Amino acid sequence: MMETDASHSFSSDDGVYDCDSGSEGFVEDLVDDELCFASGDIPKLQFRKERSKVRWIEELGMAEVLEKKGKMWITTGISRNGKTYCSIEETLYLAEIGALDVLNVDDTPLPLSDLYAKLAEDREKYGCSWESFEVYRCLKSLGYIVGRHGVAWSMKNVKNKTNADDSVGESCSITDKGNVDDKFITDMFGNMYLGETKPIFDVFPPNSKFRKSSSGDPSFMLCRASVHPPSRQEIEDIETCSGQIPLKFYVVEHGRVSFLSFTKVDLPVLP
Amino acid sequence: MAPRWKGKTAEEPMSVIVSKLQTSLIESNAQGLLSGCVVLLEALPEQTKLLYRACIGRPVITAENDKQWHQLSFEEALYLCSVLKCIKVAGENKCAKSDEELWHYMVAKRVGFPVMFKAYSHLRRKNWVVRAGSQYGVDFVAYRYHPAFVHSEYAVLALPDEDGDVENARLKVWSDYHCTLRLCGSVAKTLLVLHICRNGEDVVSLSSLEHYNVEERIVTRWNPEASRENQTMIVKK
Repeated sequence: MMETDASHSFSSDDGVYDCDSGSEGFVEDLVDDELCFASGDIPKLQFRKERSKVRWIEELGMAEVLEKKGKMWITTGISRNGKTYCSIEETLYLAEIGALDVLNVDDTPLPLSDLYAKLAEDREKYGCSWESFEVYRCLKSLGYIVGRHGVAWSMKNVKNKTNADDSVGESCSITDKGNVDDKFITDMFGNMYLGETKPIFDVFPPNSKFRKSSSGDPSFMLCRASVHPPSRQEIEDIETCSGQIPLKFYVVEHGRVSFLSFTKVDLPVLP
Repeated sequence: MAPRWKGKTAEEPMSVIVSKLQTSLIESNAQGLLSGCVVLLEALPEQTKLLYRACIGRPVITAENDKQWHQLSFEEALYLCSVLKCIKVAGENKCAKSDEELWHYMVAKRVGFPVMFKAYSHLRRKNWVVRAGSQYGVDFVAYRYHPAFVHSEYAVLALPDEDGDVENARLKVWSDYHCTLRLCGSVAKTLLVLHICRNGEDVVSLSSLEHYNVEERIVTRWNPEASRENQTMIVKK
């Protein structure tokens, strides 16, 4: 943060605005980065030589992992009955960066356009909107570990879950035959929160030693904010369920993601 | 944001300064003059020093050698009058007004005054220095001590908790947040929102204000790129 000039910082009584002092150099004019791309200059990510393979399973709204290549699987996908499943955002993220081949159940390729189409489906059919995906992608590309809120990384992790919904542990299962448990679907896509404002992701710091079986608590719960900023009551309602875990809210406007916290404090009584 | 002291040695605690001011004003039967949106107070030299050290009021620059005038905001005047009970305030007829009369006058003059006063007195009672925040686009700025000794920490907005209260409503849309946070950031202050809740009190009076609840929340923007630089690799416990 900028250190304000001592001579200007307590001038609150004589009408000097900080911006008058020329100390405004702290924040430079932000260039709209989209305008930097002249036609033909748009960068392309390289397809990787070693790509993992998954099969999209419509009834689950998730992709079942068939072949794993690379270390990203330490921090991607949930483990159930010895198999790994990816959410739509995980699948799309890896597909975008060229690390994943996605197949249909009939083994035909599922192209990026179809994945984008799934994300665009009405009422967030798979539990994630475009905006939420932008947030997911932003954090993943910076190295954070991002999981869907309320969904355990693995069943061994269930004891470590601290949020109020323990029902994932009780009856959530995908049988070996690939039958779908209704409870599982509800946990993935249903929610305790009726409003627009609700936790979407659990975010963990970058960690090469991350273990799905003992992930520990997330650094923070990331909540989607609605069109309007959350009211104090809405924030408090979510805090009731989040316990000690900090909350952050994201809002996506014109492709820009902002993360805000509304932290309860108690200013000390000074001497 | 940790408090940033300027390196000078602080003197007495704020509570002691305020207490001395209170005693001195009581002893001299201090009476202020209500005028428009301020209260003018004539102060003895020792009181002038204490007002300065407590950061209450602004000196009025005059040619008078033996007297020093100060102008107090409504919040400051009502705080001295009804909370510290160390001054009286009179109108042009020189008759001291009761606390309730003063309250009604101020509420009529200033939109949203009850919420603002609750916020001001909430912080002052904790011995924080509270000054006007309009040049920072907020209601108040709060300092841990006299601004000469410490950089300001908080830019304060006082918001009513009830939806019906439109007078003090701010931060209604996202651009309000972006705007206020950007402004706060450029002057190195943290945004502090005081949610003032009426707690079921119907009548807005000086006495009902005592039962209002104040919830403090700081609003901060998180930059995922900056935070990441500070991350050390997590060692498995």
